Amino acid sequence: MSLLDIDERILDVAKLADIVKSPIVDNKDLPEVDVALVEGSVTSDEHYHEIQLIRQRSKVLIALGDCAVTGNVTRLRNVFSKEEVLKHAYVDLPSNDSQGQMPSHPALLKLHDKVIPLHEAVKVDYFISGCPPSADTIFYVLFELLNDRRPHLEQEGKLKYG
Amino acid sequence: MAKVFLMIDGRQVESEPGKTILEICRDNGIDIPTMCHLDGLTDVGACRLCLVEVEGVSKLLPACTTRIQANQVIHTQTDKLKKYRRMITELFFAERNHICAVCVSNGHCELQELGYKVGMNHVHFHYLNQKCDLDASHPWYVMDHNRCILCTRCVRVCAEVEGAHHWNVMNRGVQARVISDFNTPWGESITCTSCSKCVEVCPTGALWSKQTLQGKMEKHPEKIAELMEKRKMSL
Repeated sequence: MSLLDIDERILDVAKLADIVKSPIVDNKDLPEVDVALVEGSVTSDEHYHEIQLIRQRSKVLIALGDCAVTGNVTRLRNVFSKEEVLKHAYVDLPSNDSQGQMPSHPALLKLHDKVIPLHEAVKVDYFISGCPPSADTIFYVLFELLNDRRPHLEQEGKLKYG
Repeated sequence: MAKVFLMIDGRQVESEPGKTILEICRDNGIDIPTMCHLDGLTDVGACRLCLVEVEGVSKLLPACTTRIQANQVIHTQTDKLKKYRRMITELFFAERNHICAVCVSNGHCELQELGYKVGMNHVHFHYLNQKCDLDASHPWYVMDHNRCILCTRCVRVCAEVEGAHHWNVMNRGVQARVISDFNTPWGESITCTSCSKCVEVCPTGALWSKQTLQGKMEKHPEKIAELMEKRKMSL
């Protein structure tokens, strides 16, 4: 959703690119794309399969935001075991009274033991860190790629953590 | 006093003898990143960011603890050194749990600035995810080991400037921890004078004042050098 922070410049992007899948485009499947911006870290089997699929179908994969680049707040649970985390959330918290149970429905995603950033699961081409990522940097990267230039992100002014 | 001449990055520079490589580089506007160095404190060469190449010496030398010698030829910005600086920075981020988005020092952090300087766009190493404690027993300050990079500025400022020597370092390697007295809660310490010098010199959000919001912890480590200068003048 940070893509919307580029405000009216999204019109410049839309002139050069078709936005085929995003929270603002109602499309369940990901077709073959030139550029994929992915937010969030890999925390479960569902995320893992999804990022593999995105990697297969995109020419350029960009990790967008601190969760995708470092794991950020989602990585805080890594100091505990998966069982401790689930038990704390679903059984031990006072709001669960005494009825709390560990979720086990087969339709639910299965949490991984550790949260990992995207580049530990697949090859990532560009990293836009920041929480939230800078709108100017997002636009810079998209505009450079859409005009067949390589964005240079490993420099002061383009980097931002937190 | 006789001047000493030496070459740094292809430039001839002159200096009084007895200075460190870091001092002469800073005097001449040559930028070398540092973390454990702080003007006013003794150098220990802990962070290894200021490593430089000296011709004729087979290993890299820390600029902060190496004194200059006449006719030395020094390189401070080679590709090899830049690679190591980025690697060291990534190891800082990978060793403990630096979550900038929820940190009091976000935006005023020397570790963040170092990452920007060395161009760290992501961390190649696996995060260690080690469980670290947080000591909030002091009435005013907090020690969060998740954000500590073991620069030992707090240990040195407490021992050398405040004279209390309340902080120490325990264990080795990834188990190393800055400890209060004999690894007892900070709030129970009889040696801590609550002067806040350790909080001011801490480059990250490891030491911070209570009731500080995310991103609102601004520190002034340069005060220590000022204080030491004033002490020299009053003697």
